[in-house]
Amino acid sequence: MPSNKDDGGWKKFLWDSEKGELLGRTGGSWFKIIAFYIVFYGCLAGIFIGTIQALLLTVSNYKPTWQDRVAPPGLSHTPRSEKSEVFYNRNDPETYLPYTKALRNFLAKYGEELQRDQMKFEDCGVDPAEYKNRGDLESDIGIRKACRFSRSLMGPCSGTEDPDFGFKDGTPCLIVKLNRVVNFLPKPPSSNESIPEEAQPKVQPNVVPIYCTNKREEDAGKIGEIKYYGIGAGFPLQYYPYYGKLLHPHYLQPLVALQFTNLTMNTDLRIECKVFGDNIMYSDKDRYQGRFDVKFSITSL
Amino acid sequence: MHTWVAINLPKYSYLPGELHAWSTFPITLTDIKLLDGLTNAKAAEYLIRDGPNALTPPPTTPEWIKFCRQLFGGFSVLLWTGAILCFLAYAIQAATEDDPAGDNLYLGIVLTAVVVITGCFSYFQEAKSSKIMESFKNMVPQQALVIREGEKVQINAEEVVGGDLVEVKGGDRIPADIRVVSAHGCKVDNSSLTGESEPQSRSPDCTHDNPLETRNLAFFSTNCVEGTARGIVICTGDRTVMGRIATLTSGLETGKTPIAKEIEHFIHIITGVAVFLGLTFFILAIILGYSWLEAVIFLIGIIVANVPEGLLATVTVCLTLTAKRMAKKNCLVKNLEAVETLGSTSTICSDKTGTLTQNRMTVAHMWFDNQIHEADTTEDQSGASFDKSSVTWLSLARVAALCNRAQFKAGQDQLPILKRDVAGDASESALLKCIELSCGAVRAMRDKNKKVAEIPFNSTNKYQVSHRLYYRCDLNDNRYLLVMKGAPERILDRCSTILIQGKEQPMDEELKESFQNAYMELGGLGERVLGFCHVMMPEDQYPKGFAFDTDDVNFQTDNLCFVGLMSMIDPPRAAVPDAVGKCRSAGIKVIMVTGDHPITAKAIAKGVGIISEGNETVEDIAARLNIPVSQVNPRDAKACVIHGTDLKDLSQDQMDDILRNHTEIVFARTSPQQKLIIVEGCQRLGAIVAVTGDGVNDSPALKKADIGVAMGISGSDVSKQAADMILLDDNFASIVTGVEEGRLIFDNLKKSIAYTLTSNIPEITPFLLFIIVNIPLPLGTITILCIDLGTDMVPAISLAYEAAESDIMKRQPRNPFRDKLVNERLISIAYGQIGMIQALGGFFAYFVILAENGFLPTQLVGIRLNWDDRSVNDLEDSYGQQWTYEQRKIVEFTCHTAFFVSIVVVQWADVIVCKTRRNSVFQQGMRNKILIFGLFEETALAAFLSYCPGMDVALRMYPLKPSWWFCAFPYSFLIFVYDEVRKLLIRRNPGGWVERETYY
Repeated sequence: MPSNKDDGGWKKFLWDSEKGELLGRTGGSWFKIIAFYIVFYGCLAGIFIGTIQALLLTVSNYKPTWQDRVAPPGLSHTPRSEKSEVFYNRNDPETYLPYTKALRNFLAKYGEELQRDQMKFEDCGVDPAEYKNRGDLESDIGIRKACRFSRSLMGPCSGTEDPDFGFKDGTPCLIVKLNRVVNFLPKPPSSNESIPEEAQPKVQPNVVPIYCTNKREEDAGKIGEIKYYGIGAGFPLQYYPYYGKLLHPHYLQPLVALQFTNLTMNTDLRIECKVFGDNIMYSDKDRYQGRFDVKFSITSL
Repeated sequence: MHTWVAINLPKYSYLPGELHAWSTFPITLTDIKLLDGLTNAKAAEYLIRDGPNALTPPPTTPEWIKFCRQLFGGFSVLLWTGAILCFLAYAIQAATEDDPAGDNLYLGIVLTAVVVITGCFSYFQEAKSSKIMESFKNMVPQQALVIREGEKVQINAEEVVGGDLVEVKGGDRIPADIRVVSAHGCKVDNSSLTGESEPQSRSPDCTHDNPLETRNLAFFSTNCVEGTARGIVICTGDRTVMGRIATLTSGLETGKTPIAKEIEHFIHIITGVAVFLGLTFFILAIILGYSWLEAVIFLIGIIVANVPEGLLATVTVCLTLTAKRMAKKNCLVKNLEAVETLGSTSTICSDKTGTLTQNRMTVAHMWFDNQIHEADTTEDQSGASFDKSSVTWLSLARVAALCNRAQFKAGQDQLPILKRDVAGDASESALLKCIELSCGAVRAMRDKNKKVAEIPFNSTNKYQVSHRLYYRCDLNDNRYLLVMKGAPERILDRCSTILIQGKEQPMDEELKESFQNAYMELGGLGERVLGFCHVMMPEDQYPKGFAFDTDDVNFQTDNLCFVGLMSMIDPPRAAVPDAVGKCRSAGIKVIMVTGDHPITAKAIAKGVGIISEGNETVEDIAARLNIPVSQVNPRDAKACVIHGTDLKDLSQDQMDDILRNHTEIVFARTSPQQKLIIVEGCQRLGAIVAVTGDGVNDSPALKKADIGVAMGISGSDVSKQAADMILLDDNFASIVTGVEEGRLIFDNLKKSIAYTLTSNIPEITPFLLFIIVNIPLPLGTITILCIDLGTDMVPAISLAYEAAESDIMKRQPRNPFRDKLVNERLISIAYGQIGMIQALGGFFAYFVILAENGFLPTQLVGIRLNWDDRSVNDLEDSYGQQWTYEQRKIVEFTCHTAFFVSIVVVQWADVIVCKTRRNSVFQQGMRNKILIFGLFEETALAAFLSYCPGMDVALRMYPLKPSWWFCAFPYSFLIFVYDEVRKLLIRRNPGGWVERETYY
């Protein structure tokens, strides 16, 4: 080690004027080694890019090779929040502004004025219907039309009448969507066995029902009524399957708006929402797969 | 009457702590009555005052300090930092969040466990080797015969106190330093103290100023060989000469072993890189707007990725394996690191007695019938023999057998003669064995010839005369036979005739000259020459029953008949010349350092090749050219023999000059202090010095040496304590094995480290890209630990079993200043080249998995912020699909697993590539079974970690699709081809640019 030598060891190592060495190498030596590494890394980069290109050739443009991790789909909600908590003070608009802003932004793409182009959109009815097959993924039909989904279906939660989405009145809205999965066909429940009794009235043909209730026993009765808006108060099947970004660029996924009309104020409430279907699964670890829970805490003081 | 009590020894600077304490030892005359010894009360009082008569064991490091050293040494500090940062991060999280993620706590615990487990592992390895030492300790307490209150009592030697009157007899160990007051044919073996193999007689007279040479002192822990003596204890315990040397030894600072220095150097480099990278990215992360917490987590990740956690354990295991292999070859390694030291040794200072020689006097030559005959000195009696039919030889054998007090100990009849134990001094034993071997039945000869009188050997008359009745029944011969042996010139003086071909002839000048020549020649061989004569006493003067008086000699002791000469030497061991030759071709200088006489030392040095054939000393040149020594140019002489007294007068520069300019050096008559000076001199010249020795006098040098090698059989406890390595068979040739193993392990450690360091790059780069280009993390800290402590371990260790690429005993020892274990070329290859290819292999697998799951490479850059946001549960991939946090994390962890598996795959190629540094794998072959096992083991382990149920929870590793295993295959192949080409270029252009830049 150069530092072990006499005092000038380090300095001499940095620049040895006798031999013309910088950091122990002469200029020519530095040039050679740097040139070597440039060429070496150049070749490596070439090889790497080559293998990545080969990889891209093997993946389909329309559908990922594996979908076992993304399906069964997650259930996500807007507004989203840190640790799925909705905290605000009714009397202080500052506290709920982020939520209403998120809702407005989210619903902006569901505006009716954006869905007028007949080449891109079609009506799929306001009642739940069968799956709408638009041909195979790999067939050469090209871009598929999307079903219209107007934000007006969200009723009081559409934001058109109430720009505060009920937050100001203590009746906040939550918009729920079933995560998009290419070519995934959600199946409505075929039997009532796995569905809790209270949710059973919600089961109807061609709809994947959603049902929310208190998560904790002690919150029973404090939640009040929850109103569901949307086609069939669930996820109607005519919006499926989804053909992917490339073939289905204008696709609008069906939404369900939840309005909590009578939440108990000034207390923590945990609400769990679940969708029910034969190919909808839940996982202990993933709290957003087929269900989610959210904590409300609204102060009115 | 009482003069013997006054111990008037002049000051003698034998050791730094002078021995004048001897003369001031507080014994008063009134304490002792000469015959009665001490009173019990006094003895008890002295025992309390002076402490027990035992050497204070060298201060040992307490076990907990040793443990802590393992726990906080090396990379541990970095890992501890990592662990503490983990706990800190968790504490911050716990303080600020209600539901903190357990990741950091978990990682902190894992890191702590890693440090503690590797620390314990190294500690137990160390402890194991020190346990071996304990088995050497003499468990049987020493006994001593003391006279107290007029009675002889057997007491524990530890209870002997100053002033005690003790009695020793042949075979006893001397319990303390004693002043002899009366002796009967007492001889002591001081070899463990002075290195002199010749037993020395002891008598009450003070003969010399030097306490080590005076006849009236016997020293603690030396042995009484024969006779009896009574003496008064003057020093006990640590105050004895032995104690002083032991103290000198334990006071010496031992330097770090070369491998320890190398490892330290290497740890510095790696730590430097880790700290530099860690801090750079910590600052970068802060600048890029990451939170403190995130920056700290990055810092932890970089540290964990940079530190080769398993490497020190691997090194320990490699050294242990070599130590075991060496133990099988009779080299017992006390200190693991010493395994390699022998390999880098450039100078061996070897003791003569016992190491180079057999440590038993053996008759080497005989002169009778005016001719020198050679006896067989080999250990297995494979050498040449001489004509045994001569009548003169029978007479000589008879004199040697009768004039000899040595005898075989009982119950050894089935043993070969050379292996039998003999009671008696070394030269008489040699004679006894020689006669028993060539004529047999010495006992019968002695039974037939009864001894009637004897004058024992002493230094003033220097001859020994045994009168024996020699009764010839058949001839009705009642004459007495007088036999005598002693210093040849004294014997000759007493002779008037000489026996030639069985006939007595008058001793004329011609025969005398012939005798002189033979005597000189044998003496010049370093042999101890004895003359033998006899005479048949005339019956008329000495009739049967004649009363021989040995005190007032009333019989004929001259006009005898000279029979012959026998010369003895402690012959070199059979394997030594070859071993010395091997050392020389391996570039190792062998220096002989002995307490013995220069002539003997030189003879042995020539015999074993330390002074090689044709090389002359200054004295030899002077003798050949017939000019004074002062006129010879010292540069002409490659060899030199230096006497201890000359050494004393040499300045440091002169000493350096000798060590530098003479290739073949023998130091004779050296004291422990001088041995130390010689070792230091060699070390000053940059040599790595191995010292071999068995005696207490060698122990300071053993301790000072880079590696001390003690003798397992003849070695004293003190020397074993001071040494790093013990030769179980006392054979110098075993050292050569040690050198070979040491060099091999150094080469193999390089390979092992190159292998282990390579995987650091694919471990660090994921973190760097994660921070800089914001992609999802490709490899987690837990998976990094799985590589470092899991899959990399067995292949890295297996490289220790790799066979040498070329004859490692044909090259020079490594230069400790230039030839580093880890050099910039190794780093360049491991980090800059192979490591980079490996990283690409890992990244390729990562991109494959993400792309096949929907996230194409182009979309990944910058995705990290949303990817790691728990509240984003609808993250879109390249196909428009939406992912929840947990779903994409599973994909991320699958990527970690795939990255990990890819590293295993590229490490296959790396371990094969690291097998050799110059040769092609096709030349080297795949004969290393452990390595093949390692390849399968790491693969099986990787598969287990990926597919075993529950791993997703325990280590966050997920099952891989079979096709993902093959992602890194092209890169693995690339590594193999690249390195084969590189090594081909090295072989094709020796000294070329490729070799200068990449040969590590």
